Amino acid sequence: MQKETINRRHFIKLSSFTSGSLVIGFMLPGLPALALSPADCEFFQPSAYLKIDKSGKVTVLVGKQESGQGVDTAFPMIVAEELDVDFKDVKSEIAPYGTLKEGEHDTGGSQSVMTMYDSLRKAGAIAKAMLISAAAKVWNIKETSCAADKGEVVNTITMQRIKYGELVCQAAALPVPKDVTLKNPKDFKLIGKAEKRSNLNDILTGKTKYGLDIKLDGMLFAVAERCPVLGGTLVSVDDAAAKKVPGVIKVVSYKGTGAPMHVRAGVAVIATNTWAAIKARKLLNITWDEGSKNNESTEELFKTFAAKAKTKPAIEVFKKGDVSSFANKNEITATYAQPFLAHATIEPVNFVAAVNGDACELWGGLQLPDWTVNTIAKECNFKKEKIKVNLTAMGGAFGRRLHFDFAIEAVRIAQQIDKPVKLIWERADDIRFQPYRPANYHLLKASTDDKGHLAAWQHHVLGTPVAYMTEGPNTKHPEEMDGADKGFCYAVPNILTGYTPVDFNINRGWLRSVDICVNTFPVESFIDEIAQQQHKDPLDFRLAMLENKPDFKTGDDPGAMTQSPARIAAVLKKVAEKIGWKEARKPNHFIGLATHSFIFAKSYAAHAIEIELLAPKKFKITRVVAAIDCGLVINPDGLLNQMEGGLAFALTQTLKGEITVANSRVVEDGFFSYELLTYAEMPPLEIYIIDSKEEPGGVGEVGLSTVAPALCNALAAAGNRPRNLPIRNEGFSWVYA
Amino acid sequence: MPSFKLNVNNTAYTVDAEADMPLLWVLRDLLNLTGTKYGCGVASCGACTVMIDGNAAYACQRPVGTCVNKKITTIEGLSADGSHPVQKAWQKAGVPQCGYCQPGQMMAAAAMLEKNKKPSEETIAEVMSNNLCRCGTYHRIKKAIHIAIEDINQ
Ligand code: FES
Ligand code: FES
Repeated sequence: MQKETINRRHFIKLSSFTSGSLVIGFMLPGLPALALSPADCEFFQPSAYLKIDKSGKVTVLVGKQESGQGVDTAFPMIVAEELDVDFKDVKSEIAPYGTLKEGEHDTGGSQSVMTMYDSLRKAGAIAKAMLISAAAKVWNIKETSCAADKGEVVNTITMQRIKYGELVCQAAALPVPKDVTLKNPKDFKLIGKAEKRSNLNDILTGKTKYGLDIKLDGMLFAVAERCPVLGGTLVSVDDAAAKKVPGVIKVVSYKGTGAPMHVRAGVAVIATNTWAAIKARKLLNITWDEGSKNNESTEELFKTFAAKAKTKPAIEVFKKGDVSSFANKNEITATYAQPFLAHATIEPVNFVAAVNGDACELWGGLQLPDWTVNTIAKECNFKKEKIKVNLTAMGGAFGRRLHFDFAIEAVRIAQQIDKPVKLIWERADDIRFQPYRPANYHLLKASTDDKGHLAAWQHHVLGTPVAYMTEGPNTKHPEEMDGADKGFCYAVPNILTGYTPVDFNINRGWLRSVDICVNTFPVESFIDEIAQQQHKDPLDFRLAMLENKPDFKTGDDPGAMTQSPARIAAVLKKVAEKIGWKEARKPNHFIGLATHSFIFAKSYAAHAIEIELLAPKKFKITRVVAAIDCGLVINPDGLLNQMEGGLAFALTQTLKGEITVANSRVVEDGFFSYELLTYAEMPPLEIYIIDSKEEPGGVGEVGLSTVAPALCNALAAAGNRPRNLPIRNEGFSWVYA
Repeated sequence: MPSFKLNVNNTAYTVDAEADMPLLWVLRDLLNLTGTKYGCGVASCGACTVMIDGNAAYACQRPVGTCVNKKITTIEGLSADGSHPVQKAWQKAGVPQCGYCQPGQMMAAAAMLEKNKKPSEETIAEVMSNNLCRCGTYHRIKKAIHIAIEDINQ
């Protein structure tokens, strides 16, 4: 297995806001062993990652935040593997904030397993080694005469056994070894075996406490009215009617912030229950100063994109060879566009804050708690050490909770009342005041040589960068070009790519699969388009530029990521084979393919989608085949769940997901206008996992990006190529089983 | 403030609330039964699904004043330990991702199966399409419903 430093540009970029450095790669267990004497020990905790109690129950303390991606199961599996315990004796808990190194709670970019795999294995192995030492002392034999098996240490001479639980006190008194031997992966018993979620029963009985379920003594409830235009300010508020609603305690106003989180100026109603606050909010009579940027629209934005696309990109991103020598030679040109998107987690964002003098306590779901604490300390005038964080389960995140605008709001509200306050975002707030996935536009040009091979490739991406929001408009690197930069996977001799940022007055943020998804749709559509135009088989056309090509680095810095055309080719071949690409098709059935790497997380996925055409722009998805190579798989069941969910997420945005803006206001205000894929619309899915011994990659985002291009390539094969998402806007409609 | 007598999960409660307060907030804020989730408040997501007299109902759409003398069942009352056939099926199929929508999904499925022990695919699709899952667990919901159907028809 090859080891390399992980360089996820967007993750590094955002984590650079934390005051300390983001420790990724090989992390040591965070805390020393607790100094417990055998007499008073309750449990054995050799590191911040696990503890074992006297009954032998193992609790794995999960530092990454659970939002459905299954870290609460994958992490315990990794620990349990090295510890040699039955998985049924292992449970997981959220690692309390502050017990891990700065950066270790950060959850995003499908990085959790990748970055913690070694540390968790080591934590399990250290605990096991200490339990073995303790047993060796009991039996007065050498440690080498002991073995671990299913939660017990075995005396290999006498075959006596002692349960881990009985060794807890002795083990706790031993020094923590620095070096331990890890298992040979070929001896893994648990890793690679499908396991159910560790906290499944809590979820199924309604016991799991999400942020919105937090209830504290004396806690009050708040909802807020926000300035409809980002950057606007409050002029005046008449709250007389609102205050008359029974249950209302107080109406408070708070100021907005600029970068990084762009909190809007707001007026919050604080009440003894959510309903009173919701009702009173409607009675607020507020005058806002909207500022000058109050007349922007997405309609105009896309016109600006189209006009600027014709000019030279503001930033040249990647250049190879010389595209100009091919100018106008067999040139094909196309444009593609994708709208703003909302995360739309079913649990709307919410947060609980309590302020007591110079101290502040927080409850809720956060993907980046360190950055949250640092920013709140600054924006709301607290010493960092005076901020206590209690992390909770998240009812979906998808990048929404990388942002913490809601947490800053909750603190500003709590600063004005002497009780804990839960801030609830109503659904309309959650859809209308998001950090949206940026809108984007692409101009692509390609030229082929006399044999029909791709000779020159140009890709101009225009977007509304996230970095303009998080870092301000003077940021040095606004470009969102992953997959369209040096990491472009196809072997084309001449390439020129560039980026043009366009500012726009709504907040933007990171959405699941980030710019890899943004760029895979145009790249995989256009490749297909060129093949179609050249009368070449789209599979063979791609494979000729992927197969047998060596891995390469995507940058010059030592931590640069690696692109692997061969692995991208392998998943593509797999889906083609499984869907029967080379076989005869039923009448009116068409197949589209797309492949890519989710390069940040060293995982590769392809989709093949078969449609039945019912009318020129009406179709039914009859088959979806996916293939994934994510290196060593920790929990195959978790992987399948992510791939299934990825399909639903991606279909939402391919078919109907769109945020539009008029007068600088988001038009959509809930699930009636920002529609999500429904149960009935979910097509069947077959998933094939590539058997791999490579180091484990991340799986939370890799299952999305190839869905849109695969479907659009199928529609193109059927006669009409959609170039703008969602395809509903191009007049497409679909039926389902 | 008016007061209402409610029967939730076979327990009698008296709550002081405005008559227009939706059952959702009564359950969550006043009775601390937080298994019933808020997703939209406007009948668009199904996260708040409970059973009222055996029928699936959006708790966000039922003013507490209309809920007296009715039998209300929430996820906490479907079974305390996860032993209801629907919960067992959800367990077996490993449905949840974030899990937030799942109480509503299970209540919708349980209410459907209470009425109809052998629903057709069309009925299942029609009923379950009222409950959104952003994590996209629809395949597993389908699988779980079929496991539950098999279980209750044995
Ligand atoms: S919260 Fe009731 S349907 Fe969404
Ligand atoms: S499991 Fe997350 S919304 Fe359904």
